[in-house]
Amino acid sequence: MTRRLPVNFILGAVLVALVVGTAALSLVWTPHDATLMTISNKFAPPSATHWLGTDQLGRDVVSQLMAGARNSMAVALVAVLLGGSVGVALGLLASAIGGWVEDGVMRLADLGFAFPALLFAIMLAAVFGPSLTNAVLAIAFINIPVFARVTRGAANQVWTLDYVLAARAAGMNRFAISRDHILPNIAAAIIVQATIEFAVAILAEAALSYLGLGAQPPASSWGRLLSEAQTLMYLAPQLAIYPGLCIVVAVVGFGLLGDGLRDMSDPRLSRER
Amino acid sequence: MTAPLLDARNLTRRYRLPRTSLLHPAPVLTAVDNTSFTIRAGETLGVVGESGSGKSTIARMVMAFETPDAGEVLFQGQNLHALSPYELRLQRQKFQMVFQDPFGSLDPRRTVGWSIAEPMRAIGADTDTARRTAEALEQVGLPARDADKYPHEFSGGQRQRIAIARAIVTRPALLVADEAVSALDVSVQAQILNLLMDLQDDLGLGILFISHDLAVVASICDHILVMQHGKPLESGPAAQVLRSPAHAYTQTLLKAAGVST
Amino acid sequence: MFQLADFSVSFGTATALRRATLDIRQGDRLGIVGESGSGKTMLALALMGMAPDAATISGRLTIDGHDMTHATEATWQQMRARRVAMIFQEPMSALNPLRRIGDTVMEPLIVHEGLSRAQAQARVLALLEEVGIPDPAARLRMFPHELSGGQRQRVLIALALACNPALLIADEPTTALDANVALRITDLLVRLAQERGMALVFITHDLAAVARTTKDIVVMYGGDMIERGPTAQVLSAPAHPYTQGLLAARPDPTVPPRDATGKRRRLPTLPGTVPPLAALPQGCRFSGRCSVELPQCAGTRPTDHALDADRSAACHLLGATP
Repeated sequence: MTRRLPVNFILGAVLVALVVGTAALSLVWTPHDATLMTISNKFAPPSATHWLGTDQLGRDVVSQLMAGARNSMAVALVAVLLGGSVGVALGLLASAIGGWVEDGVMRLADLGFAFPALLFAIMLAAVFGPSLTNAVLAIAFINIPVFARVTRGAANQVWTLDYVLAARAAGMNRFAISRDHILPNIAAAIIVQATIEFAVAILAEAALSYLGLGAQPPASSWGRLLSEAQTLMYLAPQLAIYPGLCIVVAVVGFGLLGDGLRDMSDPRLSRER
Repeated sequence: MTAPLLDARNLTRRYRLPRTSLLHPAPVLTAVDNTSFTIRAGETLGVVGESGSGKSTIARMVMAFETPDAGEVLFQGQNLHALSPYELRLQRQKFQMVFQDPFGSLDPRRTVGWSIAEPMRAIGADTDTARRTAEALEQVGLPARDADKYPHEFSGGQRQRIAIARAIVTRPALLVADEAVSALDVSVQAQILNLLMDLQDDLGLGILFISHDLAVVASICDHILVMQHGKPLESGPAAQVLRSPAHAYTQTLLKAAGVST
Repeated sequence: MFQLADFSVSFGTATALRRATLDIRQGDRLGIVGESGSGKTMLALALMGMAPDAATISGRLTIDGHDMTHATEATWQQMRARRVAMIFQEPMSALNPLRRIGDTVMEPLIVHEGLSRAQAQARVLALLEEVGIPDPAARLRMFPHELSGGQRQRVLIALALACNPALLIADEPTTALDANVALRITDLLVRLAQERGMALVFITHDLAAVARTTKDIVVMYGGDMIERGPTAQVLSAPAHPYTQGLLAARPDPTVPPRDATGKRRRLPTLPGTVPPLAALPQGCRFSGRCSVELPQCAGTRPTDHALDADRSAACHLLGATP
């Protein structure tokens, strides 16, 4: 019996492959140097050499979008990995120890939820100056409570299972049980969450860069491109539309992929198929 | 008379239930009330009762998963609940447990051999793991090569054998079996019961055998303790309890278990 | 009333039910006994017209003389609840947790019988009373989680009885219940069948429960009906080696666990386990595990041998000694 893949998974995977592929390609090749300015050739229309034309400084738009993809992906990846690791560790810890530790971690998570990421990034920028690193830290920070909560919920379910009780009866300590039994059995839920959070992180990075709190010139990112194009909205609206479309494609792609993965890992849904 | 292997004295366990009203204190459920029993090496004590009778709570207290609110569990003369967490983990190799659900008691993502060896890893006995895993599998009637397979490749009865192999791999003195055959087909039940008897003869195990089915308990236990609503109703040698049950409730259980009448 | 003739259900090469033949008359109380994989649940589903879509069905199923073998879902919907109804093993999951008991039991009355809410409510009260639920008026407004397991099973029985079915199928109705609750549920089923003149098919692996509940039994193994007859006779003097083994493997509480020398008695066992459906032997399904096997057992399917006017067993041994 072949199991059919959910439609959202296929669509998401295609979009994600497109975005990630483009970002990876930009590491080795872009049509032009993304930062090379040719003022004489500004606002060029699409042509064979400049597929989507050039911007107000004569830079190649396609090359800038590709370089932007790379930066946006890198920020999202590092932020989700960082925030995810801390969040998962906190969630596992809360679930393993229980009692006041669990309550404490979860109240802290509530606090984190209540705290807007942009506000936190502005705070970081005010103290340490705006930079891509601070943007990454801010996005990672807002991911911690999300992962902590998902991990603890899933882990608490696994802790009630007999094989975990059997491991306790065997004399394993709580940390070894978390490593050997809990983490492998909740990995699917965490991966699903990470994929969805990746989309959120791309959006957050765009917002921060748009506000000037993320990537600094000459580094490119979709948010920065959007912010630069803003002043030229009437003159050259296409310069704002292209990065906007890129963000939409990436966010929708990761969102669909995450939904699809969740559908596949949910046994109640997969049994129907 | 030698000292008993397990001596449970006046065990009491209460649970606080969710509050039903802001104005009244949370109601308290007494899951186990002042219950005492002993098990000697090589003997089986059957605890019979229905869901809510407190028999599983007894198993959890004997396994030191839960601490009694009153009373104590002396295992080989040691009060289990007075040990430090580290000392308790080291002691755990001497008392092991077999669970009801053969599909839930093995981690689906781990090989059978990995699961069986877990109690040995817990005490840091890393040498000889493969040989002793193989030995344990053979003791429960499975081929040693099954160690490399995953739980889903086995039937319910075979999985229960694997769970028993894990429980005996550290050569414990006491085995707690909580409804260990209840989820199995009748013909497989008898095989597992016989296996437990064989292992008891070979290893001199004391067994705390918990079941709702008096017929199953009767076939394997030397002593029987009947529980209802957390209270011990009657206890004594199996033959005596079965032949002349003192309590009407025991007679009901006997009736439910009997094929005749 | 209900008739199965050479009825088979198979999935590709795996046969879940092989040439089942069964006659259910008004007032029958029939036990279907078997272990997991014996085909007893498939039999119940077939009688409800709920065999899985992927299954291939052959043979003949008639209800009140109508051929229902390949009946459409619409025809079956007419049949269910009114002619045949079913109760299940797990009384919690069979009730919608978000609906009040009263609404759940009223639904078939309103949908199938076209009663008004007031009429339906009066009927439900009578039904709950009949199945022995105390203070039924108060229970109507309760949710499933507010009832005990035994009471939920009673509610499910009331629900099944709502449209006066001629046949009630009970699939392991007592397995999830405590012993004394199970005793009362089986007593209730017997009483209801007698009072209503309703046929009861009681499916179980519990020999003690089937002995209390039924007049006749069919023993199933690997999709075959291997022995049938009056319950008391089959259980006291089983003819088929499988039935004999199954009864012997069941611990007898009256036998002390140790013999005179203090050695622990072992239980008689059936060797091995039930093989998966696709790997069952072509002949007698029990061959390979049987203690008294003949050369023809593995290849040739034994036919029913009458032992008595109303007893038969499908075993080559019985044919060998006329």
